[in-house]
Amino acid sequence: MRYFDARVIENRSLGAGYFVLRLGGCEPLAVSRPGQFVMLRGDWGRDPLLPRPLSLLSVAHDGRADLLAKVVGKGTALMERSPPGARVSVLGPLGNSFPVPSADVTDLLVAGGVGLPPLFMQAEAAARLGLANSSEMLYGGRTSRDLVLLGEMRGLGIALRLATEDGSLGRRGRVTDELEARLERWRAAASTQILRVMACGPREMLWAVGRIAQGYSVECYLSLEEQMACGIGVCLGCAVAAQTSPYLYVCKDGPVFAAAEVMARATAASTSRSEGGAQ
Amino acid sequence: MTSSHDLMEGRAPALLTTCGGIDLGNPVLTASGTFGYGQEFDALLSLRGLGGLVTKGISPQPRLGNPPPRICETAAGMLNSIGLENVGVEAFAREKLPFLRSCGTRVLVNFFGTTFDEYLDCGARLAALDGVDGLEMNVSCPNIKAGGIEFGRDPLVLGDLVRACRAVIRKPLWVKLTPNTSDIVALARACADNGADAVSIINTITGMAIDARTRRPKIATVFGGLSGPAIKPVALRMVYQVHRAKIPIPVCGIGGIQDGTDAVEFLLAGASCVQVGTQSFVDPASAERIIREIEEYCRAHGVTDVRELIGGLAIGQ
Repeated sequence: MRYFDARVIENRSLGAGYFVLRLGGCEPLAVSRPGQFVMLRGDWGRDPLLPRPLSLLSVAHDGRADLLAKVVGKGTALMERSPPGARVSVLGPLGNSFPVPSADVTDLLVAGGVGLPPLFMQAEAAARLGLANSSEMLYGGRTSRDLVLLGEMRGLGIALRLATEDGSLGRRGRVTDELEARLERWRAAASTQILRVMACGPREMLWAVGRIAQGYSVECYLSLEEQMACGIGVCLGCAVAAQTSPYLYVCKDGPVFAAAEVMARATAASTSRSEGGAQ
Repeated sequence: MTSSHDLMEGRAPALLTTCGGIDLGNPVLTASGTFGYGQEFDALLSLRGLGGLVTKGISPQPRLGNPPPRICETAAGMLNSIGLENVGVEAFAREKLPFLRSCGTRVLVNFFGTTFDEYLDCGARLAALDGVDGLEMNVSCPNIKAGGIEFGRDPLVLGDLVRACRAVIRKPLWVKLTPNTSDIVALARACADNGADAVSIINTITGMAIDARTRRPKIATVFGGLSGPAIKPVALRMVYQVHRAKIPIPVCGIGGIQDGTDAVEFLLAGASCVQVGTQSFVDPASAERIIREIEEYCRAHGVTDVRELIGGLAIGQ
C-alpha cells in the first residue's frame, strides 16, 4: 500500500452517468489483484471531504490504472468532470482479492451495475492466465444503458450472459435469475464441473447471490461496499456483522468475503439499509 | 538597518514545545480515533517526525463498538458513531505497545471507562506501562450511554473523576473535553483544580444526518460525533475561552485542522499544541505536511520560536 499523487490521463464517458477514469503515475498499483480498491481524492477543497473508495477496473505495468464509477453523489460527480491532467491522490492498493482463477474451477462472475470493476479485473486476470474458458460473466442492470464495457469483455474471450430488468438487453429480469438458471442447468446435467461464484453489486443482490449459491452448495465470494473514511482499518466505519467475529471490516478484512461469513447476521440486520444502483 | 525579519530568514525556527508535562519535538500530534495505534500509518508518514500521537481510546476490556452504518459524510465534515471499539488494556499492552515503544515519538494513550472504577483501573494500568508517555482521559465521547458524556458534562463529577485518576496516575494526565456544554471554562477549571496536567479541546460535537430518500438516520445510533473542518470555528472559540480565563494548565487544540495555518490559528488562540484528527483520513500524511507548513509560517513571519505564537491573538487596536 502506497500513498501517492496520480494524474487523470483520460476520462471516458460511457453514458448514463458511468465513466472510466484512466490514471497515470500509478506504478504502485501494478501489483494490485482483482477485488482490491483505492481511496481516491481530487483537488476539490473541503466538500466533499473524504476520499472515495473505488474498486480497480484494470491496471497496467506502465503506471496506468482504470477505474469505473457511476455518478451517485458529489464525489463521483466531481470525478466525472475531472479533465485530463487533473491531479488526484491515491492510497492503495487496499484490501484483499478474489481467489486466483484456476483451470480446475469454472468461475461465475456475477456483476450488478456499477459492481462490475472487480469482476472485470478478475476476468482480465483469467484471460491473462489463458483461462478465459474457465470464467463466465453474468452481468445485470436496470436497462441496457447500465451494461457497459461489453466490447472490452467480449475481447477478453469470456462467456458473457446479460440481464436487464426492463428486458432492453439480454434476459429480462435480474442477474440473480440468470445465475439461478445457470446453476440449475449445471445441476440438471449432473456435471463434474466445479463451480465457484464471485459477485459484486448492490447489497440486496449480493445476499440473493449468496443464498442461491448456498442452495446449490457452490463456493461463493462477495465483494462488499460500505461507507469508509480511511481505507486502512483506522476509522472502523466500515464494520460488517460477521460469523467468525462480531464485526469484520470491509477495508482490511475485505472487501471480498466468503458469503457464509457475512450473510447470516448481516441479512438479519440489513433491513435498515437501502442500496442504490442496479441489480 | 536590518529588520528582525531579515535576520530570521534562513534560520530554522524552534518548533519544540511542551504541553502538560510532555516535551514535544513540535506542536503537532495526531488525534485519538483517527490514527489507530500508530502502526497503521507507519508506511504513510514519518512517525518520528510527529510531536506525538494519541492512540485509539482504550477501555479495561475490549469493546465491539456500535452496529453499522457507523459513519457518514456531512458538509465539510463527518459524523461517526463507532462506539469506542478498542482492543482493551491487555491486548493493547501485548500487541500494540511494542511497536509504539520504538516508533520514536511521544505516545499518549487515550482511555476511558464506563464507571468511575473502570476509569481508575484503566488509567492506573496504562500509566504503569513502559512506553506510555502520558494519558489522555476521554470524558467526552457522546456514544456510550453508561459513561462518557455524563462524566464530562458536569464540572463537579468531572472534578471528582480527575482527582481520583490523578491519585493513581503518576504520568502526565490530559483530559479531553466535550464541546457539548454551555460552559467549557468550568469544565477546564474542574480539570485544573483537580490535578490534570492539560486539557484537550475539543472532542466531536453531537450531530445527526438524515437520508431524505429513505427517511432514515444515516448512522445506526441516530446521533454521532461531528468532526472535520466544519467544527473548527467552535473549537477555536472554546480554546480561546479557556485561554482567556487563565486556567493554569495548557490547552491542546483540536478541531478541523487541515493545514499549517489552521494549526497556527489554534496556537494564537492559546493552544500549546494541536492534534490533527479527521484530516488524517482525508490526507493520511497530513500531520507531517502541517508541521512543515507551521515551520514555513514561522519563517515567513519572523517567528524564531513557535512558542511565541501561543496566545498571541491580537484583540482590539
